[in-house]
Amino acid sequence: MDEQQWQRVSPWALVYFVLHFAFRFIKDGIFNLLPIAVLFVTQVQNKLFWGQVAAVVAVIALLIYSVAYYINFRFCITDEHDILLNKGVFKKERLTLSFLRVQNVNVAEPFYFKPLGLVNCIFDAAGSVSQEVILPGVTAKYADAMRERVLTYKENEQEQSSEPSTTDLAEEQSQRNLTLSNKEVAKFGLISNMAILALAALAPFMNVLFEFLEEAVINRLETFYEQEVGMLVNAAALAVFSILFLVVIVAIFLSVVMALIRFYNYELYFSEGKFKRIAGLLERHQLSVSLEKVQSISIKQNLIARVLKRYTIQCFQATSGHAIGAKNKQSLVMPVLDVTQVNQMLLWIYPWLDQTGFDLKALNFKGVERALLLKNLCFYALTPSVLLAAFSYVTDVINPLYCIFIFALLSMFAFLSYKRYGYYFYQHEGRYYGIFRSGMLGVQYRVFELYKAQSANSISTYFMRKSGLKSLSIQLASGTVSLPYLKKDIANGIIDFMMFQAESEKRNWM
Amino acid sequence: MFENYQLDSLPQHQDIVFKPLADNALLYVQLSWLLFYVPLMLILAAVCYFNDKFASMAQLPLLIALPIILILSLAYNVLSVRLRGIAVRNHDIAFKKGVIWQQVTILPLSRVQHTEIHRGPLERKLGLGSLRLYSAGGMSADLSISGLSHYDCKDIRQFVQDYTQPTHSNTQLNDATISEAPSNG
Repeated sequence: MDEQQWQRVSPWALVYFVLHFAFRFIKDGIFNLLPIAVLFVTQVQNKLFWGQVAAVVAVIALLIYSVAYYINFRFCITDEHDILLNKGVFKKERLTLSFLRVQNVNVAEPFYFKPLGLVNCIFDAAGSVSQEVILPGVTAKYADAMRERVLTYKENEQEQSSEPSTTDLAEEQSQRNLTLSNKEVAKFGLISNMAILALAALAPFMNVLFEFLEEAVINRLETFYEQEVGMLVNAAALAVFSILFLVVIVAIFLSVVMALIRFYNYELYFSEGKFKRIAGLLERHQLSVSLEKVQSISIKQNLIARVLKRYTIQCFQATSGHAIGAKNKQSLVMPVLDVTQVNQMLLWIYPWLDQTGFDLKALNFKGVERALLLKNLCFYALTPSVLLAAFSYVTDVINPLYCIFIFALLSMFAFLSYKRYGYYFYQHEGRYYGIFRSGMLGVQYRVFELYKAQSANSISTYFMRKSGLKSLSIQLASGTVSLPYLKKDIANGIIDFMMFQAESEKRNWM
Repeated sequence: MFENYQLDSLPQHQDIVFKPLADNALLYVQLSWLLFYVPLMLILAAVCYFNDKFASMAQLPLLIALPIILILSLAYNVLSVRLRGIAVRNHDIAFKKGVIWQQVTILPLSRVQHTEIHRGPLERKLGLGSLRLYSAGGMSADLSISGLSHYDCKDIRQFVQDYTQPTHSNTQLNDATISEAPSNG
């Protein structure tokens, strides 16, 4: 493609625009159309005919809008190393994105572009989704050339403005890679909360679904159970239980499918201080993340992951406050890793962990003060149990003895949560790192370099001050990490040192 | 591994001397509260006047509770404003607030992404302003300081905008020096 001139993307990009706006319409506009849908259902007589008319009108409007958008969609790469983009139909917009503000150049290969050898080239601006530039339907070669050009320019600029020592270590490293089998990826479906997301996606249709289930399945199941098991158990309860079991199975299945759609054929490469991840079933999404841009990493293991002996690592980049959810898609997720792979990843990201024998559990974490346990026992175990006991005494709904069991259960949770809290600090070749541990049944480690802290906050109540305690909260560019109930001197020491690091470190935090 | 640290040599934020808010800050807080509270009381009075059933049930409790809440709130505001303070150091801004949960927030100047000054009608009348400092990653402003004089707001904003990070790692920070880091023990 010619540079220095305004260019259009390939006409095949129309497919992208049509699908993109259709998705946007469903995602953002569907709730606005609910009143019309209610009117349609309650007032319109010939629903099928008018429904077809509405669908045809919507499709034609979508096509016209997409064509108009394509016609107005033009971009230009300037001599001043800016990407200019003209877009919009009713509200025309000119977007200017400097190469320097580009955080990553990602390449996505949707399934409909695959036979054509076309890709979407995504220029990811630091911390802002609205400033992101997507060039759909460009050739893979052009996308790679653009990525090379932007990243080379950024590197040159950064080398001029800072000392080169920061990337020395990374440059020494040759390309390394990690691949995950789809069987492993499916396990991520089991351990992630995608099952809940899948159920949430079905939420608008739950009423219809339940009505259907009641009519079509539960009644029949009830009859079946009545015939087969007779008086042994309550047939209706058994039918409902069967349906609930079925819902859970379906949710898990959907969760596994979603994990496969997202991480199918997962490949991760690490070279010259940069990660490149390629994954996806319907869209082969290529995500590049520079190690220097990683603000913090989290190593998570929930209850199911503990059973499967797997971990999830997430590398977080900077997010702007209003776009945290939207920018989460830009965080690098290594979905399901065994211990060896976790160690391998940590070696790439934080080579200093090598010296600890790669075992996070073996680190000498310092815990928080026992006052936290007492407070949580009082507020989250004793108070609810006493209230429930009082309620059950008055209403006689449940046996007050159950409250003892509930108290024991809540106390156990409070204790596990208290024991999980921990912190560890480490210094390696003049760089200072913090590891904050938290969790309850599962565990999460948050690792970050101290100088990347954005701000620090200490909180104390009257009783905490009396006991010489403080809670600590550190704002990172990728979210907040906190430690409750530390000794005042320790909390103050951590804050002071972290602020010193943030204020004296010459390296760019972003 | 974070050993041999000498905490004494760190610039210690607990030694910061906080500057109180502007003189009119308390008046601003009280008026803001009354602007919410008085209309609420008037609405309840109107409901009592027009609805005998509600009045017979709620008049006495309201007559007792509302003045108590008002007095307690005004006293709380006095305490709250007195406990707030701001300190601008060479390389960061510190702000303390809170009556029940006392908080101290420290924001390095090098992390400030953008600043805003807000002035509502009441603040303009009293010569006050609210300063908001944003860093990366937060859901809202990292520091939101109301009750500063408009002059102080502009002054601090200018100081933040003019700030450049020191280029030498051995630069003395906040009038103190540091040798080692906190330990794990």
